[in-house]
Amino acid sequence: MKRILVLTFIMLFALAPLAWAQSTIKIGVVGPRTGPAAATGKAFEEGIAIALDHLNAKGGVLGKKLEVVFEDTGGVPEKAASGFERLATREKVPIVVGESHSSSALAEIEVANRYKVPLIICEAWHDDITKKGYKYVFRAGPANSGVVDFYIAPFVKENGFKKVAIVRENSDWGAGIAERSEMNLKNMNIPFTTLKVERESKDFYTELTKIKGENPDIILAYIYGTGLHFFIAQANEVGLSPKGLILDGAGPPSLWDSFWKNVGNAGELELFMSSMHENVHLTPTSRKFWDDYKKKYGKDPSDYKTRSIYNVILIAADAINRSKSTDAEAIVAALEKTNLEVTTGTVKFGLKQGTYEYHQWMPPMLVVQWQGKKQIVVYPKEAAMGALKKGR
Amino acid sequence: VAEFLMYLTNGVVMGVINAISAIGVSLIVGIMKVVNFAHGEIYIFAGYFSYHLSVSLGLPPLLSMVLAIGLVFLFGLVLERTLIRPTYGDEMYSLIITFVLSIVLQNLALLIFGPYPNKPPNLVSGAVNLFGLFHYGNQRLLSFLISIGILLFIFYLIKKTWFGKSIRAVSQDRGMSSLMGVNHFRVNMFAFGLGAALAGAAGVILAPIFPVTPTGSSSVSLTAFVVVVLGGMGSLQGCVVGGLVLGIIENLGAAYISTMYRHIFAFIILIMVLVFRPWGLYGQKT
Repeated sequence: MKRILVLTFIMLFALAPLAWAQSTIKIGVVGPRTGPAAATGKAFEEGIAIALDHLNAKGGVLGKKLEVVFEDTGGVPEKAASGFERLATREKVPIVVGESHSSSALAEIEVANRYKVPLIICEAWHDDITKKGYKYVFRAGPANSGVVDFYIAPFVKENGFKKVAIVRENSDWGAGIAERSEMNLKNMNIPFTTLKVERESKDFYTELTKIKGENPDIILAYIYGTGLHFFIAQANEVGLSPKGLILDGAGPPSLWDSFWKNVGNAGELELFMSSMHENVHLTPTSRKFWDDYKKKYGKDPSDYKTRSIYNVILIAADAINRSKSTDAEAIVAALEKTNLEVTTGTVKFGLKQGTYEYHQWMPPMLVVQWQGKKQIVVYPKEAAMGALKKGR
Repeated sequence: VAEFLMYLTNGVVMGVINAISAIGVSLIVGIMKVVNFAHGEIYIFAGYFSYHLSVSLGLPPLLSMVLAIGLVFLFGLVLERTLIRPTYGDEMYSLIITFVLSIVLQNLALLIFGPYPNKPPNLVSGAVNLFGLFHYGNQRLLSFLISIGILLFIFYLIKKTWFGKSIRAVSQDRGMSSLMGVNHFRVNMFAFGLGAALAGAAGVILAPIFPVTPTGSSSVSLTAFVVVVLGGMGSLQGCVVGGLVLGIIENLGAAYISTMYRHIFAFIILIMVLVFRPWGLYGQKT
């Protein structure tokens, strides 16, 4: 009798996942939940929760409940590749979204292509991710070239900065965005110097002293994570900023809760890239996201990557719904025909092969400046809320 | 010249703070023959303690620094009694235990404190113009002075007090010292606590300058190990000199060779020391 009971229990547990699998559809998410950008993982978790609430309230996907399997990449390419492989083979997800490290994304796209699993990148900016022309790889987010060509370079030019210093971390993102910036500055005949730093650096006194010797009026800081906070605080201590303004080329670290605690008054007049602002709502979905977030977490969203992951989950769900299947080929075909309103505009993927714009949709970006601890959009002009303040 | 002096000053300041953390490792290695891989995690915990004591509980910053060091000291005592003591005599076991401990503590920190960096308040703010040549952060200068104070205290403790004598006795010959009436269990326990407290001291001193994150612990451990090997296992003077050498070389190397390879210089020195002088600058050739 006892044995039969035990067996029944085992059977119950063994069969339970099967029963579940039939009533839900799982989407894979890749991103750093540990490592120097673990904060991005937190932002992703929040965005995922809101997207799932939103979609499941509307009846889920293909009439089934939508679920997410979030695989940690730790910001390490090897871990990212094996995590993706696990999603593709063990979890058998029909589509994967996410990622915010270019180095990890470049490893993941290879696996995506090998296993023929569609992947929508949201916040890994390296050009090659889409430039490689992989059929299964899409990006609904910024690309280095787009950010530099359309925002950073024109911003530098229109505000009449005379001397630029580029500081970039030794990552794929840092190398790519710095190279593109150098190219643009050369074309605009603006003198610049570039300094490479280690991704996990904490002490920048030496680097900052070198930059100070060059006397730049703007410093393009391509450093992600806490390192940026150290950089800003120390730049002020050695007397480099705010005479030379600092532009955070990524954005989220300048908005993390700990930013002001870590940088103190040195944060005043700091500039950063963003795709989100409290007062800028380009679509009704953006408004809804903001309200949903506030309702769930009791505060305003700060890290714009929360919204980026929300967007790509919406795009993935939409593609599965339109293709009416979980078949990779059908989903890719549906993705190529995407015409979906998300929080940052209406997504349509580029189809011209050979450039970074293939399978790419770029949301509009903003250059924001901290003025009296308020976020003031200073560029582009159409969205500007105030004038750029220069330091003395 | 101003720039060179700036690099040198920063090297010396960072070097002295490195030395404190390294002495913590060195004491434990020298006395107990235990390599504490969880050293960096203790540093991080102390940083978070001082943050929460001062920011969340509103205690004065200086008091919360002292309390945080006290807390990790107690933590060190408990660790020694529960996890380390059963491994005596088998260096492999203690190695594995502290290694596992470092992973557990790191994840625990991530769970309790979250992934965001936290910064206890500065004791002083702003910067001074040193020698009329360059600006240097006041917090760094103060940290430097506090570190010197701690170093002097440790040297006094080890060289001049009865406790220091018994520590040195145990590290020279465990059996003989216990025949002479030294309770080596108690010495071990206290030494491990002291090692943890030193990691904590470095943590609370540096946290206002470099806010702590749960994942920042491995570089702390690594720096401490490099300094210890450089100076010679178990040598206090070695730690100070090793810390200074490392700090200065990192800064000058970054300034005049490449900023990209700052931390590689440390490893180049480490490898050279291991090849040409494996017992370190001050260690004893065995």
